Amino acid sequence: MARETETASPAATETSVEIHSGGRLLRGVLHQPAQAPPAAGLVFVHPFAEEKKCSHRVFVEMARAAAARGCAVLRFDFSGCGDSAGAFEDVDLNAWRADLRAAFGYAREHLQPKRMGLLGLRLGAALAAELAEEELELACLVLWEPVGDGERYLELTMRRSTLRKRLTAHEGGSELEEEAEVDEAGEVDFDGYLVSAALQDQIAEVGLLEEAKAYPGPTLVLNLSGRAKVASAHEQLASLYVSGEAQAVRQEPIWSTVGLIDSAPTVQATMDWLTPVLRLPTY
Amino acid sequence: MSDAALRERVKELVVECLFLDVEPSSINDADNLMAVHGVDSVNLFEIVVALEEDYGISFEDEDFDVETFSTVASIADLVERKRAEG
Repeated sequence: MARETETASPAATETSVEIHSGGRLLRGVLHQPAQAPPAAGLVFVHPFAEEKKCSHRVFVEMARAAAARGCAVLRFDFSGCGDSAGAFEDVDLNAWRADLRAAFGYAREHLQPKRMGLLGLRLGAALAAELAEEELELACLVLWEPVGDGERYLELTMRRSTLRKRLTAHEGGSELEEEAEVDEAGEVDFDGYLVSAALQDQIAEVGLLEEAKAYPGPTLVLNLSGRAKVASAHEQLASLYVSGEAQAVRQEPIWSTVGLIDSAPTVQATMDWLTPVLRLPTY
Repeated sequence: MSDAALRERVKELVVECLFLDVEPSSINDADNLMAVHGVDSVNLFEIVVALEEDYGISFEDEDFDVETFSTVASIADLVERKRAEG
């Protein structure tokens, strides 16, 4: 159901939408170019917990850049996140997988684009990659800094949290807090997000690097860092796809940086890759 | 004491991960990275991950001490110890 429309630019509109996923109500924004049906459509898949908050604006900027070039975009919030219904503590990865399927179906039905693709960041990229294994006719798959190994992701997230707490105390912040600890129920506090033991187990099971992928379409793995070379895990992931390629983009970590970020390098690299793949106009 | 080549590599990583517009060689081994070059926890974590990737080492929680990561020299010493531990 469309709730509200405003003009984003002379060529595109942005509409708040509601999507039903089982018994859950998801909220999102549909970016639609003036041309209908659009040349292509993308569903964006956001990352986990605090990373979603940090990367929100970059998703908006990417969506507007795509819409300005004739590619419709659906951005949506998973259950328990952003504007969608539910509590973060009550949902899990399986609910979000169902949410993504619902959002994808909604976009396909309402946009009816000639070509449909997925774009995900971090854990959202992992979920997008999973869906691509079911939706083999997808026109493209874009994976920004994907989580290829869920166990490693959990480990790094915990360590980042520990490091932040130690340095925050050092940088003149409040008294050193206790480091992330597992409580009796196995829950862990991820920078304010309580992650259940069951959800940790589900995330740990994410494993994109284990076998060759069935999805045959063009796949872009974008390595976002200050480094000129692609990380080995991203190279490995790209090699598992029939038509996969990995690119390094010099970009601050858009998923963990608080404050304004110039997302132009990421948006530009992605649009440069999408334009021929989705046959977008080059005006 | 870690070798000069390792310290130079750490400097390159600092420049890359912090998006600094300086030559790596202009960073002094003993510069306090937080005070002189504005390293914060986000930047530092990117350096940690890059070191693990490049040197095939793995840091433990107890390694994450502010003093250990305060200078190029102290970081390089830690990397050297980790490499020696295998």
